[in-house]
Amino acid sequence: MPRHVRIIGASLFCPAGIGIFGLGPASPGAVPGFDPIACGVPRKHLKTMTRAVQLGVAGVNAALAVAPGWAEIRPERRGLFVGASPQAGDAEDLAAALAAAGGDPGRFAREGVSLIPPLWLVKGLSNNVLGYASAQHDLRGDNGNWCDGQLGGAIALAQAVHAIAEGRVDLAIAGGADALLGAESVVGGPCAEGAAFIVLVAGERGDAVVTAGIPSEDGVEEGFGALGAAAVPVAWVRSWLTDRRADVGGVRGAWSS
Amino acid sequence: MRIAITAASVRCASGRELVPPTRCWASVDDDALALGIPGVARATVEGDPRFPDDRKGSLAAAALAEIASVPAGARVGLYLGTGLSSLTPAELAIDLYPHIVDGAFDRLAMARDLATDRPSPRRHQPERVTQVLGAALGAVVTETSFSACAAAAQSILQAARAVHRGDVDVAFAGGHDSMLHAIGYLSFVVLGALSPTRGRPFDQQRDGFLIGEGAAMLRLQREADLSSDDRVLGWIVGGGTSVDAYNVTHPHPEGYGAALAMRRALRDADLQPGDIDYVNAHGTGTPVGDQAECLAVHRVLGDVPVSSFKGAVGHTIAAAGAVELALCLGIFPSGVLPGTPGLVTLDPELRAHVLKDPVRAEARHILSNSFGFGGQNCALIVKAP
Repeated sequence: MPRHVRIIGASLFCPAGIGIFGLGPASPGAVPGFDPIACGVPRKHLKTMTRAVQLGVAGVNAALAVAPGWAEIRPERRGLFVGASPQAGDAEDLAAALAAAGGDPGRFAREGVSLIPPLWLVKGLSNNVLGYASAQHDLRGDNGNWCDGQLGGAIALAQAVHAIAEGRVDLAIAGGADALLGAESVVGGPCAEGAAFIVLVAGERGDAVVTAGIPSEDGVEEGFGALGAAAVPVAWVRSWLTDRRADVGGVRGAWSS
Repeated sequence: MRIAITAASVRCASGRELVPPTRCWASVDDDALALGIPGVARATVEGDPRFPDDRKGSLAAAALAEIASVPAGARVGLYLGTGLSSLTPAELAIDLYPHIVDGAFDRLAMARDLATDRPSPRRHQPERVTQVLGAALGAVVTETSFSACAAAAQSILQAARAVHRGDVDVAFAGGHDSMLHAIGYLSFVVLGALSPTRGRPFDQQRDGFLIGEGAAMLRLQREADLSSDDRVLGWIVGGGTSVDAYNVTHPHPEGYGAALAMRRALRDADLQPGDIDYVNAHGTGTPVGDQAECLAVHRVLGDVPVSSFKGAVGHTIAAAGAVELALCLGIFPSGVLPGTPGLVTLDPELRAHVLKDPVRAEARHILSNSFGFGGQNCALIVKAP
């Protein structure tokens, strides 16, 4: 029999602000005052993290920081479910090598490769939020990473609910992160950055209950512009923090006590 | 869980047959050779007009087309694992080269050109192939798993669970990838992951992997929904995922996360370690990866026979979990456990029962491993029909 699922923590980083300050009107742009170091992102990893990954790891940190008792759950029973966008390795990291090659693959091999930072590929991994955050918080359980545009964050939320309900994990952190600033010309409209995560555990009847249907983009707030994989989680958490209920992206939460 | 595989298709260097490969299918590619890579494992596929300049899209489309029949009225889901192969040579030529002036990269100029001349580059849309193929299927659910080299295996597991839960009636699940282009090669060259000689998993002289490309798709259905016309190729009876929580680029040296995924798969399938007859290893041929996997397999499953296909068809990256599971389906009717193409001298330090050559033996349960950068691991168990 599926278990009840309840929410014990949430984080919010969006252009309106961080945490409860993020409940203001939706608008495109950057997350004001975002400082990855202050948000617990390890300084030693900053150089191999894109802005979206920094936001995502910060989002996981902030959600766990307000979730009581999560550290008592065994690492093997802690799951992480993330919606992300591909973080194409920074094109500027290739510039010196490409210039040295002058379009000649042979020269590229001889003279160009050594000019590329060895971790160029690593920086571009789309599952870096999952990789870094799981290492930081010892999250070894069931997991997933989806790159489905706005749908990715919704899938992450839904899969986390299933993982708790089906007993595969006892703690699930789920959400999404993205940073599309600078991509306006590609996207064709205003863009934003952000991250939002929720922390789920198995609950008893009468607790706040979260259920999942078919993941969708329903309920995404258009005011942010393009928010990518963070769009559904940000809308979900804003709705939840405002009304203690949310029905966004096919994931429904209701405060029933 | 007991989900029927009622159809399967594969496109990889060894062809389209659902049988384990027996020899190396490496060929020479000039771009790869220029970067010091002696061989690549290229699949044969015609370009699909829906995915111009995108071999991974064409590979997925071809694999799916082969098995895409859907029972009337069935709710369909498409679950696809995809990878980093998002920057093709054409995009490189168009996006990057013209914007390098005197050794500096003019990002603003690139953005301006993208805005005025061309549609959005595919690298911002890894879900595009899933969306296009999902729409053609009339899928009510589409998911694009992006879990590095565990992506296809994770997609298959998520699809099997969705069918089991009743979210969909029929799921098409698999993966696709092609990094056989300059930037793809480069990504692994700078990491030192590709072999400068050839792919030889579990060998004493192993020095990296042979890079390949491919796609594979499975059609998954509930047992209760099968018709008398359906032919079952195998049953997905369990799966497990884990994260190493150790390092994004290096596996846990003792294969902790790999072992955890295998144990979860066993529990999910309600099986004991002795029930597994054969392990299709992730077995890339990297010194650290093979050692960690062998430790994990031995710890969880004892002396079960293990082999790897990657010396033959290459590492198909995000597609690997699907390509190799599809090839494993040929083991059931053959009565032969496959060997490890490329392996010459087994590394005596490896604690696992590695098969160098094929052996005659029946397999009732097969476990297939897929491990990815970021520390994501997935093990799938498939049962004979």
